[in-house]
Amino acid sequence: MLNLSSLQPRQLAAQVLNFALVLSTAFMLWKGLSVAADSPSPIVVVLSGSMEPAFQRGDLLFLWNRGVDTQVGEIVVYNVKGKDIPIVHRVVRRFGGGEEPLQLLTKGDNNMADDVELYAKGQSLLNREEDVIGSVVGFIPFVGYVTILLSEYPWLKSVMLGIMGLTVVLQRE
Amino acid sequence: MSATTKIAVHSLADLKNTTDDALPVYLTHSPIHFTQTHTKSDVRLVLGYVAVLIAGALFWLDWKQGWTVSKPYTLPAVLVYFTLNSAFTYWIWAVEKGLIFEGVAKTGEKISIASSTKKHTPIYNLTVTITPKSGKPTCLTPAAPFSQWFTADGYFIAKPFQQWLCASIPLVGAQDPNNVVEDIGRGSVIEDAGASGVKTPGGRVRRKA
Repeated sequence: MLNLSSLQPRQLAAQVLNFALVLSTAFMLWKGLSVAADSPSPIVVVLSGSMEPAFQRGDLLFLWNRGVDTQVGEIVVYNVKGKDIPIVHRVVRRFGGGEEPLQLLTKGDNNMADDVELYAKGQSLLNREEDVIGSVVGFIPFVGYVTILLSEYPWLKSVMLGIMGLTVVLQRE
Repeated sequence: MSATTKIAVHSLADLKNTTDDALPVYLTHSPIHFTQTHTKSDVRLVLGYVAVLIAGALFWLDWKQGWTVSKPYTLPAVLVYFTLNSAFTYWIWAVEKGLIFEGVAKTGEKISIASSTKKHTPIYNLTVTITPKSGKPTCLTPAAPFSQWFTADGYFIAKPFQQWLCASIPLVGAQDPNNVVEDIGRGSVIEDAGASGVKTPGGRVRRKA
């Protein structure tokens, strides 16, 4: 522990920099992964049980968005216009492709019906270019459960960030 | 001048940080009056903060405008960020190498002091490089146990530390001749502090761990 008020300006600047570097490095690694996978969100967490038994709530999925000729059977993550939460479902039909824009119909393995109900108003198929943010190429079971907890109990976020920040600023090992 | 905060004497980081902080204070004040130069730490801070600003700008752009707008800037920003970050790390490990003080004496000599400790060994090692106005630099590597200037209950005592610096670095000793004590009994700091008439703050209250 150290007393922040007793630090020289340069020492204080260095301590703050340590904290800022931890945060910015994490952010830039994420952005580097985004560029590599060509996806705005290359890692997502499964929030619902609609893909059981393939994926459970809390599974961490890795996405890849290069090679956009998506085939039937692939599991894709897509955003619906006007909704914030990305959805992970399997491709069950594909239309177009090649010269025409590729369009997809998706369905959750554990759902009774396909996803037309979930799409934006008036939309009956997904546009591969615009709506899909990547295909699932790998997953780690369960480790994403922390983010489910964080989104269901938002105060945990502030607590975690606060603890992280204090530890870095106050530690001088 | 002595730091009055109490530290945990078994924490090597605490011992070293407290001593590192005390050294420039002594060397830049009367009667030594070295002029401290901050060039190297300033370069490190600039490298680090420019990197953080780039990340911040990208974060802001992504937050406000979304992925489609920020995408073309992302790859260059990531590359520049990690280049600066590597330069920052290189600067700390290869250029600064534990540098805690760099300055110029009234007589014109340049002095730079780096400190280090070995794991689990409570010995303070200095690497002192003195560059005369003309001629080759000389290098000294004095070392002493922290117990020489810390009381058993964790207070830093400036006097024995200054005496050690004066005795082991002639350039410092020359500026403060009254503090040059050849042999001050390494390792028996309490007695020596008492003998040279230094009040030890809280030194009489011994606490049992």
